Amino acid sequence: MAPIEILDPTVEPRRQPLTFVARPDSLKGKRVGLVENTKFNSDRLLHRIGEILINDYGAAECRMWRKHNASVPAHAEILEEAKRTVDVVVAGIGD
Amino acid sequence: MTTALVSKRHVVADISLAMELCYERGWTDGLPVVPPTEPAVRAMLAAAELEPDHQIAFITNRQVAVTAEKVAINAVMAGCLPEYMPIVVSAVEGIAEPVWGYHGPATSTGGAAVFMIINGPIGPRLGFNCEDNLFGPGWRANATVGRAVRLVMRNVIGTLPGLLDRGTIGNPGKYTYVIAENEAESPWTPLHVERGFAAGESTVTVMSAEGPRQFYNQLSSTPEGILKTLCDDMRHHNSTGGQPQYVVVLAGEHMRTIAAGGWSKSDIRKYVFDNTQVSIAHFKRTERLPGSVTPQDETTYKSLLAEPEDVLVVAAGGRAGAFSCYIPGWAGGRRSSRSVTKLIRERRA
Repeated sequence: MAPIEILDPTVEPRRQPLTFVARPDSLKGKRVGLVENTKFNSDRLLHRIGEILINDYGAAECRMWRKHNASVPAHAEILEEAKRTVDVVVAGIGD
Repeated sequence: MTTALVSKRHVVADISLAMELCYERGWTDGLPVVPPTEPAVRAMLAAAELEPDHQIAFITNRQVAVTAEKVAINAVMAGCLPEYMPIVVSAVEGIAEPVWGYHGPATSTGGAAVFMIINGPIGPRLGFNCEDNLFGPGWRANATVGRAVRLVMRNVIGTLPGLLDRGTIGNPGKYTYVIAENEAESPWTPLHVERGFAAGESTVTVMSAEGPRQFYNQLSSTPEGILKTLCDDMRHHNSTGGQPQYVVVLAGEHMRTIAAGGWSKSDIRKYVFDNTQVSIAHFKRTERLPGSVTPQDETTYKSLLAEPEDVLVVAAGGRAGAFSCYIPGWAGGRRSSRSVTKLIRERRA
């Protein structure tokens, strides 16, 4: 029987550099954004985290955005506002 | 000059070892695949008149370009005939549309499959089943077109069960989930015509979806009677507070009874919209909303759907039997995944 040659159905992963913003040394005086994913209690969880970041870590303020739903990335308006109005973002899943 | 195929090549001693290699590499859905040789892949590309490097889709969140070559390889593996290739191509274009929202339904614990509805002359011409045993096995076109799309998702886009596909209980439709509308016997406007295509054009509609829910009504001889039963079942379905879209598939007996009552698809949609509302009290009693039931909850209702157009009505299924079904979309909300209807381009020139 003759050998058989087949073609690979997969793709090679595309390598691309990802640049992360440097993490701040301290949260003192920083404006914190909280991105809530709409699941039950995720807002309560993030509110509590926000309180801790202000009271224990000196963050200046916290504000929260709500995604359209849990299974999609934060929408463009959230990203644009976050860029303008906060220094760091906490995204969490309440599930 | 023929454009070269760029995929990596693997040489094995015979066809059975080729099939085993596909298993070893994790390229199958668990069933054996047809080894994708260059002549078979070339035939697939020729049938759709596509160059191998043609980009069919770009999946943003995966940063993956899906080329015609890779779709053709996976279509061969799925067992497609070359003439199915234009349908597979259109379906892949559909799931890459931003409104379909690939990331959500492909990865979600909700376990959605890609449900496909074929409309237009291509359905009967290529032998897509639209009658008895509608969702069952036995038809090459239904079986392999859906399988090809799933293999593209797996092998090209990387939607691997347990890794990037985290469906909690999954869905047998993830093997294949393809029907055609029975336009020859339907008294109604076909789905693709409702969506703006010409009756003589062929389309594939892709929708992220849970499995079909069969309902039974052998008693009623009126549209209201049959649809009352359907709506009772759909109210029970409110497991996640409602899905963004539903397909209602009406088979022969129900189709004829509803049509004999003079009801159009639009009438059916309106009835379903009006009769699938559920009280807030029910949500609370069944632990789907927190809190205790207030008197106001008894008379406050939540619509299952945002609007009647969120029901897609399709005529299909066996002639005999008092069964039809509805198919819930995927539990991601209206903004995360909407069904998409794509033209099937059999001749591109």
